[in-house]
Amino acid sequence: MEIFAQLILSGIALGMIYGLIAFGYQLTFATSGTLNFGQGEALMLGAMVGLTLVGHMNYWLMIPLVLVFGALQGVLVERLGVLPALKTKSEFGWIMTTISLAIIFKNVAENVWGHDDVTFPSPLPTAPLQFFGLRVLPMEILVVAGALAVMLAVEIFNRKSIYGKAVVATSNDRDAAGLMGINTGMVITFSYALSSMTAAFAGVLVAPLTLTGATMGAVLGLKAFAVAIIGGLNSGMGVIVGGLILGIAETTTGYYISTGYKDVPGLLLLLLVLAIKPAGMFGKSVIKKV
Amino acid sequence: MLQIQNLHAGYGKVEVLHGISVEVPQGKVVTLIGSNGAGKTTTMRSVSGMIRPMSGNITLNGKNITGLASNKITRAGLAHSPEGRRVFSTLSVTDNLLLGAFPRLTFGRERGDVQGDLKRVFDLFPRLKEREAQLAGTLSGGEQQMLAMGRALMLNPDVLLLDEPSMGLAPLLVKEVFRIIRELKARGITMLLVEQFAAAALDVADYGYVLENGRISVHGPAEQLKNDPAVKAAYLGAAH
Repeated sequence: MEIFAQLILSGIALGMIYGLIAFGYQLTFATSGTLNFGQGEALMLGAMVGLTLVGHMNYWLMIPLVLVFGALQGVLVERLGVLPALKTKSEFGWIMTTISLAIIFKNVAENVWGHDDVTFPSPLPTAPLQFFGLRVLPMEILVVAGALAVMLAVEIFNRKSIYGKAVVATSNDRDAAGLMGINTGMVITFSYALSSMTAAFAGVLVAPLTLTGATMGAVLGLKAFAVAIIGGLNSGMGVIVGGLILGIAETTTGYYISTGYKDVPGLLLLLLVLAIKPAGMFGKSVIKKV
Repeated sequence: MLQIQNLHAGYGKVEVLHGISVEVPQGKVVTLIGSNGAGKTTTMRSVSGMIRPMSGNITLNGKNITGLASNKITRAGLAHSPEGRRVFSTLSVTDNLLLGAFPRLTFGRERGDVQGDLKRVFDLFPRLKEREAQLAGTLSGGEQQMLAMGRALMLNPDVLLLDEPSMGLAPLLVKEVFRIIRELKARGITMLLVEQFAAAALDVADYGYVLENGRISVHGPAEQLKNDPAVKAAYLGAAH
């Protein structure tokens, strides 16, 4: 029983990272109907830039700089990959361009930082804390708190500020938002900046727990995509629950069955959700009016 | 105030409007009537920048707005209450209305009396005041229409485009919509109105244009159009 509880706790931290990356997918999908398939690489770049900066400064000072870097990287992806596809009304062009950019980012990272995975110095003590006989790493608590804080901040922004409302309006009906005087192109660029910023932040949160390297993003990005599909591409609650389910399924399967099979339950769940409720567990199906 | 000259527009390669010219003078209500598919909504969309005209010239207050993005045209002083209402369903009634004044709410400070305008819209549409905190998607069709009109008014526009404000509404609500259009006219708001109820539209309008297959077939003062035998036969019907 104690081991089971321990596995769930570790699963939660992992799941919140998936949830946070999946949240980034949702941000751009809401405003533009497109996704950045290089979300995992945005995370990796955030972690690598963070690692370089940590050599010169404190972890907490590094975070705002990584966030700025993430936002700029998101703008670059949108301008280079997504905007041209949206302009030519190419329905699927953005899929290819964001994947291409992801591959380029990975190659650049390999050339700049090398092929080897390195450890990221933890800003918090690495000795686990004890709660009722369960061990929790301080960094795991930071991951959960950080992920929730980002989602909460975006939610408050959307509800309270006029710019946030403009983002929601653009997600509701892009043409009608334009009629309000909202520059919807800017809103989409902004959502890409926010999305990559979220991923970069997830990168520096997860890096001290895992190894950091040019290939770290691909698997995380893919799993987070599964989470976004399982939870629903338009449900904030969905990515948290979806992330937790996938994270916990991984740690428990890894322990009770085999680490070789740890990705299977989550992917089975993905197939199941697609078969039974394609809009996701919490997603609202969108009726496309013609 | 608003001038459309020799406008050609359409979707993709299909031309819907084959060179129409319409003029909306300051303080007047001008209506565009015609059967389904004649190009009424396409005209409205071209004017507000929802679609890019193929050729022609549109000027607002002497400023050329042809082919500008819709957000720029809105900022130039033109509000468009679109066909099908298009309210923001996951936002509250109040938020929908505030977004109508978006250009005056940016950069952290309010320009002009947005709260006063909000109050005036609520005075005009008491139903919206009752439902101010409700999500727009949960409103009835009539209430959504009021919201779409109120949202457009929040801009304090120089010209207001109303596209099919009575579409899909019960007869009583249609009457209510026309009462409000009359009220707006009395306040001196310049309007371009597209309506399926041609007779009611010509009653409230000063001037009318009849659109047939993407061309203006007849135009003239509303009184004159109402008595035009051809217009009567084609659009006003025996019932009116």
